Amino acid sequence: MNKKEFMKKLIVGIKKLPKEEQQEVIQDFEEHFAVGLAEGKTEAEIAAALGTPNQVAKELVATYHLEKADHTSNTGNIFRAVWAVIGLGFFNLVIVLGPFIALVSIIASGWVVGGSFILSPLLMLVNVILYPETFIFFDFFVSIGLTGVGIFIVIGMYYVTRYLSKGFIHYLHFNVKLVKGGLKDE
Amino acid sequence: MNVQFKKGALELCVLALLDKQDHYGYELANKISKRVAISEGSVYPLLRRLAKEEYFTTYLQESSEGPSRKYYRLTDKGRDYLHQLIHEWVQFTQGVNKLLQEGDHIE
Repeated sequence: MNKKEFMKKLIVGIKKLPKEEQQEVIQDFEEHFAVGLAEGKTEAEIAAALGTPNQVAKELVATYHLEKADHTSNTGNIFRAVWAVIGLGFFNLVIVLGPFIALVSIIASGWVVGGSFILSPLLMLVNVILYPETFIFFDFFVSIGLTGVGIFIVIGMYYVTRYLSKGFIHYLHFNVKLVKGGLKDE
Repeated sequence: MNVQFKKGALELCVLALLDKQDHYGYELANKISKRVAISEGSVYPLLRRLAKEEYFTTYLQESSEGPSRKYYRLTDKGRDYLHQLIHEWVQFTQGVNKLLQEGDHIE
């Protein structure tokens, strides 16, 4: 593989990173090739020593997303970090994706329960509009009560979601360390 | 040797080299790969991560031959981290060596 081929594959691999980040990576590798050539090596030798551009790109992308998820843990970032970590190896598919799906389902079901409790008077009204003869004060008050409970559940879910996503980022870090070797006791 | 195992030690190698003097990327990759069989390309993701964690700063310096080079300089935070890593490394290798020696006695 010559320099052009290596760079082409690397650029394809990191095209989802922000432009600035891409530029810096490209500069790093341009420099690497330039110094190597100045030392009298051939492009093929330098490229061979670097390893496969795909693997380098994968590591760069995983590193970038993990770093970002650390600073702002919104859902999009976490999703991207998960995919990047999965990309590091098939081994991770079970170890990362399994807990992630479980976690997302728990969080999603909590929000759905809270949301439907809050909306229960609305559902009750729809029912009354469709079948006016079924109107019962008991249903009416229960549904208003449910709204109150629903509001508490949603507030609780807000904290639960934040807490769990922080925890999951820690888990991703642990996983990257495991995959990259050298697990340290921290 | 296990690839993942080597990657874990890479971080320590990079920081140890930078503790002695500032280096540019190629030098780091080259010096390490001379002693440990690694893909030189895997040094760069590591360098980016450690720089973001503020273990070192970077600066550009013109060179007499070819384009300017990006040098890496260890920060105080990086030096602290290095010392911690060395401590862990020594404990780890001592433990493994002890176990290997005990293995010899049995034979």
